[in-house]
Amino acid sequence: MSAATAPAQTEKTTPVVMTKPRSKTRLTTSLTLNVVLILGSVLMVMPFVWMIVTSLKSPAELALADPTFFPSTWEWSNYPEAMKAAPFLLYFKNSFLIAIGHTAITLALGSMAGYSLARLPFRGREVIFMGFLAMLMIPTYTKIVPQFLLVKFMPLFGGNDIFGQGGSGWLNTWWALIIPGGLTASSVFLFRQFYTSLPKELEEAARLDGLNEFRIYLQIYTPLMKPALATVGLLTFQESWNNFLWPLLVTTSDSLRVIQVGLAVFRQLESTSWSFLMAGTTLATVPMVILFLFCQRYFVQGFANAGIK
Amino acid sequence: MALATATALAATLAACASSDSDSGSSSGDGTVSGEVSLLTPIFEGSTGKELLEGTLLPEFYEMYPDVKVNIDYSSYSKLNTKLTTSVASGLVPDVMLMGVGWIENFAKNGVLADLSSLGLTEEELSATHSSMVVNAGIYDNKVYAVPIMLDARFGVARMDLLEEAGYDHTPTSIEELREMAKALTVRDASGTMTRAGFDLQSNDSRQVFETFLFSGGGDLFNEDITAPAFNSEAGVEALQLMSDLVLVDKVEDVGYSSTDATVNPLINGRAAMGLAHNNLWTQTLEADPEMLDNLEPFLIPGDDPSMFFGGTLATMSSKSKNPEAAQALLEFLTSAGPALAANEQRGNIPALDELLTSDYVTNNRFVQFAMENLDVAKHEGGPAEWLEIRGNFTPAIESALLGQTDAKSALDDLAATSLATMDSN
Repeated sequence: MSAATAPAQTEKTTPVVMTKPRSKTRLTTSLTLNVVLILGSVLMVMPFVWMIVTSLKSPAELALADPTFFPSTWEWSNYPEAMKAAPFLLYFKNSFLIAIGHTAITLALGSMAGYSLARLPFRGREVIFMGFLAMLMIPTYTKIVPQFLLVKFMPLFGGNDIFGQGGSGWLNTWWALIIPGGLTASSVFLFRQFYTSLPKELEEAARLDGLNEFRIYLQIYTPLMKPALATVGLLTFQESWNNFLWPLLVTTSDSLRVIQVGLAVFRQLESTSWSFLMAGTTLATVPMVILFLFCQRYFVQGFANAGIK
Repeated sequence: MALATATALAATLAACASSDSDSGSSSGDGTVSGEVSLLTPIFEGSTGKELLEGTLLPEFYEMYPDVKVNIDYSSYSKLNTKLTTSVASGLVPDVMLMGVGWIENFAKNGVLADLSSLGLTEEELSATHSSMVVNAGIYDNKVYAVPIMLDARFGVARMDLLEEAGYDHTPTSIEELREMAKALTVRDASGTMTRAGFDLQSNDSRQVFETFLFSGGGDLFNEDITAPAFNSEAGVEALQLMSDLVLVDKVEDVGYSSTDATVNPLINGRAAMGLAHNNLWTQTLEADPEMLDNLEPFLIPGDDPSMFFGGTLATMSSKSKNPEAAQALLEFLTSAGPALAANEQRGNIPALDELLTSDYVTNNRFVQFAMENLDVAKHEGGPAEWLEIRGNFTPAIESALLGQTDAKSALDDLAATSLATMDSN
């Protein structure tokens, strides 16, 4: 923003110059906007409310031809019953460790990669960036088998020799659960967009002060990226927390299974225990809701900034 | 009889495997030992895990104390991916439970052990199982799988609603089915459906089509499994009937129910008749036991009244490092006691004929009905490419149900795609 335009904008937004009709118009606009937002919020929150009330109904009530919104009898026992169905505390712990691991790797390595693509001029940078963009287009399911083979044939792990033969590699280990999903192309892309949006003058001033590249990344730019870190961190945590297929494929032991795999015990081919499934799902969403409550300010800022460039 | 057969099967398998084995898994004193992995899609629920680990495996360990079983649970929806990755990596579980229609693919690719080469013949199995059920485990005239449990699709009517409308019996012909379904359909003043005359949508549309196809005397493939036959006259009539029920008779609106519905509409009276899974009995028992007396199963009345059945079969890896232990586990899981318990926990149909007189079966009218009609039941599958082909059925059937294409074109297009898939492998 230039110095010449700043006073003009201030003048425009000064309440003193507002006239009465304009104030009325603004009130109407604000009211309409709030009504629309409230309706949108109700629509958004309704599936969650429905999930919670379903988790508190009995099978007989779920079978009613004309379902009631609130349960006539609140079956709070569905929660302890659901928790007894499988070692959910273990599943929660596993999911939490994996999500934390993925988030930490993404924040550390993803931000470095994003920084280098955004701020370091080097030969082939655009080609590499295009490569990351291309990776975004590959559906997850098509990568499952090759990724599985990479994990299985990991040299010198799980009884494998140097050529990756003879053993099970990373299968059924924490390595398989944490490393392959630790960094995604989308996080690098997002970080690159955030770093690109920051002014070059900061970098120039830092170089004049004698800072090396890593300190510019760590001490100058990254502290300005809290919204980006919150956004990418939250998205990574959420994606990792909700992952079902990969943990199911690479583990065979119950001790390494995660919450989403655990919830599958309520959903069989022939029938689904809806009240238990909803009780388990309600509990599984709690960490995500708490995390969002703490990070929502940065999260919204992050998305707003990501659209700048 | 079955126990004797199972014992004979165990002895035969163990004897034959001992001669083949070079793994040294036998402890040398006549007992079976070693570590085996089991991939199962039928014990993945909470009660299933409790049954397998708390009851069945302790019994197995009493018989085979030197065998250790590592269990890998999966749901059916992810089983194919799990098996595919296992095969690709070479880490195939020693014992795999898989669905009807799956055997051909894995047998053709050499993943499964040929049980008939170990002495288990089709004749032996047919002495204790319905021949149609045994057929589900056979590929290229060899036995690759032993059935444990079945699940069927057949018609179910709410007799209380039928009687209200003046009917005292289930439909005896397709014409009567259509007429009754129309009479039993109820809409409110605004035209919104409040009761479907015949529910088609609570089950997988492919399996619903197959049930109508089989009842009309049709088959999925020709006799030597070289070309599709589901686009025959019987097939077109079956899909046309489904389409007419929705688009002409309007006995169920599109989206009125779904495979993900919280409750089957037959339980709460939102449907008067429908095609149902045998597990509807167990669901009703849980939700509204008094309704059980009103539910009446029937075969879809076509030229050749039939029903669809799927199920779960036990197979063995052809590359098991401990084949004796794997065989012992396969034999144990397919024997009467464990099979009955496994079926009971899922409300399914035991594959062994002798279990028809068990308390579980006699107390479950749907399971009993299905077992009594297994001889006229047919299963899906046939070519090794079935797992690829079957995914194309739902869009083809749904396009006909939505009126986007006619039944013949939908099936002809599907047949052409299927034939191309079969020829490409």
